[in-house]
Amino acid sequence: MKKLFSELDLKYKLAIIAVLLGVVALFAGDPYNGTSVKVNVKDIALSTVKESDKINPTDLADWIIQGKADYVLVDLRTPDKYAEYTLPEAENIPLVELPNSDLLRNQKIILFSDDEVVAAQGWFILKAKKYNSVYILEGGLNGWKDKVVFPKVPANPTKDELAKFEKLRAVAQYFGGDLVTETSSSEIRKEIKLPTSTVAPQSTQPTTGSRKFTAPKKKKREGC
Amino acid sequence: MNAPFYKFGLFNTDVSLIFAFIIGIGFGFALERGGFGSARILAAQFYFSNMRVLKVMFTAIVTAMLGLYYLSVIGFVDLSLIYISETYILPQVIGGLILGIGFVIGGYCPGTSVVSFATGKLDGLMYILGVMFGIFIFGEIFPFITDFYYSTNMGSVTLPQFFHLSYGMVVFLVVVMAVGAFALAEWSEKKFAHRNPENQL
Repeated sequence: MKKLFSELDLKYKLAIIAVLLGVVALFAGDPYNGTSVKVNVKDIALSTVKESDKINPTDLADWIIQGKADYVLVDLRTPDKYAEYTLPEAENIPLVELPNSDLLRNQKIILFSDDEVVAAQGWFILKAKKYNSVYILEGGLNGWKDKVVFPKVPANPTKDELAKFEKLRAVAQYFGGDLVTETSSSEIRKEIKLPTSTVAPQSTQPTTGSRKFTAPKKKKREGC
Repeated sequence: MNAPFYKFGLFNTDVSLIFAFIIGIGFGFALERGGFGSARILAAQFYFSNMRVLKVMFTAIVTAMLGLYYLSVIGFVDLSLIYISETYILPQVIGGLILGIGFVIGGYCPGTSVVSFATGKLDGLMYILGVMFGIFIFGEIFPFITDFYYSTNMGSVTLPQFFHLSYGMVVFLVVVMAVGAFALAEWSEKKFAHRNPENQL
């Protein structure tokens, strides 16, 4: 038998090896099960959400405007609140359903809720399930509103600041908001209702400003 | 240390580009060594007189499949972290047919055209220019075909999921299919040898 094998052409040897490996594979089981790892409770307890696991709302606003789509936005709040207002392209997965979600491990996942607490809980759940790139939105939706949609600026800005505010205003208007001066911030906040649509209407798109903006494109994931 | 290294954060995006470059060079080298830098060999595939394309490609598939399967069974590779592109069945069938037509006409696929140009073949260069022109045309008409482009989405579906078979069974079937295809290829090369221009020289 051994002599017979060694006399064969290389291509037949390789074919036989391949078939043998294929036959063994019939009984070797599911490769996805082989990679399931037990959660180290201590590790998870010791790990905390680091600064590097947070996404700044201003950065996220830039990504959305540029149409960058290498991430998945997950809204952890209730469907009611999600219907009321959410971020562009965000998916709604309430926290209780997060453990059974069909999120993929190869995606960059950004979690958010009203503040950071629920997002951090979601972060722990996904980390425990061996998701590697999980991030939370810094300050949650409240932070988003304060920093992007209704950014506060001093009442009497200097010339240098004005240029900076132009950009802030352009971004804010893109998401249906505007600048809010510090002195009047509290009253204005009550008057202005957040826009219900997730993407700002065409008319509010900035026509001036130092940067050119493009509308968010249809979601396209990584790949060739 | 587990694979995929990039997804486990062993190196960052910048370094990953260096690795991509090295792997790309290696891929080109393998294609050239396989004889894929020659449009004659590639085109002969479609006249069944030289089945090298099928043999090389099926060998690559079987090697990669067996390697990935066993490495993940022993827990070295986390398959769940490997990106699987989504299936848009209808647009992909149409795209595949267009690529196939271009393959028969030009004698190259995009990768092998670059390989042949790297060895100084001018038809390879023409092919690359054609590919770029095609990309330009596609970009221009994309707004009109966007709906079709994103239609019939089946998600990231794999063969075991689609056929409700176990992973091991699919691995086995693909190996059997490959061996059968190799035997058939040998037979067809003999049968259609008269069509091969290289035999007539």
